[in-house]
Amino acid sequence: MKEITEEIRQEIRDMIFDYYAEECETDRSSITMETDPQNDLGSDSLMFVELIEMTAEKYGLDVKLQSIGKYMLRTPMNTMKDVVDMFCRIYQYGNDITDQ
Amino acid sequence: MYRKAFLFNGIGSKPEKLTVKLPPELTDRFMHYRSEAFGRLGLHTEPEKNAPFDRKVAEWIISLICDRVVFEYYTGKGIIPDIGAGYSSGIVSISGCFGAVSHECAQDIIMMNRATMRCIEEKGAGLDMGAVIGFSHSELSGLLRERFTEEELVIGSGNSSFHTMICGQAEAVEKALELCRREGALKAFSLGTGLAYHHPVMKEYSKEYIAFCTAAEYSAPAYPVLSVFDRGIMTEGNRIMKENQLNVYTPIRWDLAMKKLEELGVTEFFDVSADSAVSRFSRVSRNCRIYTLEDV
Repeated sequence: MKEITEEIRQEIRDMIFDYYAEECETDRSSITMETDPQNDLGSDSLMFVELIEMTAEKYGLDVKLQSIGKYMLRTPMNTMKDVVDMFCRIYQYGNDITDQ
Repeated sequence: MYRKAFLFNGIGSKPEKLTVKLPPELTDRFMHYRSEAFGRLGLHTEPEKNAPFDRKVAEWIISLICDRVVFEYYTGKGIIPDIGAGYSSGIVSISGCFGAVSHECAQDIIMMNRATMRCIEEKGAGLDMGAVIGFSHSELSGLLRERFTEEELVIGSGNSSFHTMICGQAEAVEKALELCRREGALKAFSLGTGLAYHHPVMKEYSKEYIAFCTAAEYSAPAYPVLSVFDRGIMTEGNRIMKENQLNVYTPIRWDLAMKKLEELGVTEFFDVSADSAVSRFSRVSRNCRIYTLEDV
């Protein structure tokens, strides 16, 4: 498991918020941790894949989409908080996220 | 020799999502082409006023017209393709835009899908298609090979390292989608088409469509087209005609077609779909880029 600092956590949060604001053509300041990415912003799974690819590249992570998919079976992404938490876990655990 | 490739999307995008992305000057042109086409084909612009099969093909004609408008916009800006490729019914779009058939003929080819739908309905064939996000063609192939026969379902399209489409008997498609969800697909959902484009079974339901393509007049395209079936470079009308026929009942390897375009030297890809759909499910190497309408 990789340690995650508060700074990295904030960086991941900013990256995710910036990404959704741009892709969903929404004012960045209107997005909160309670925002539902799908219903409030109109995001979709292809955007989600792109976000995973961006994150993997930025932090040099090797993570299979299916590992994330299995994690999501137990932990649905209903709010931006869920999304941020999951990406922090991807950062920490990589493919082992399935076991978390 | 090949630097710029134009990529044409298939059906699937909702008309309102396509047209909303068009800038005002292209919207005017779209309205003009739509009015011409719908008038000629006897379709209503209000979807609910069309009979069910007409409603479906009307949506596909809108997609075709959007492609034409974006294509003309790109070429009007001086962006000229060295080659192109069409994803699924994008093959019909590219046939029209690259001049292998007239735009009217491309519309007529799309209209022939009504005969296919009617035939499937008469025979009571329960067919469907499904999209799987999170699996490559090879990963999905490994998962499905032992569990389903080719008569039940096939991978209709390998789009990229994370995007595939399956098609076949509706019941088998549903079971396969459920399996994909359990095995970690980010999303696996039925397209609810009642059709199984790219499955061999479609050949017997598409006889009228195939006959129409045979009878249509095909010329050499203005620019070469890469086959998404055998990755050959098509420069003759007859090959384009065959590609239009194969399209109905043959699985696509879009992922391999993209790779082949890169091998041919393409570094600049232009997504001709108004809603940038192709760029979202396709992937290219780091030294390449897919430009969308928004970029241009």
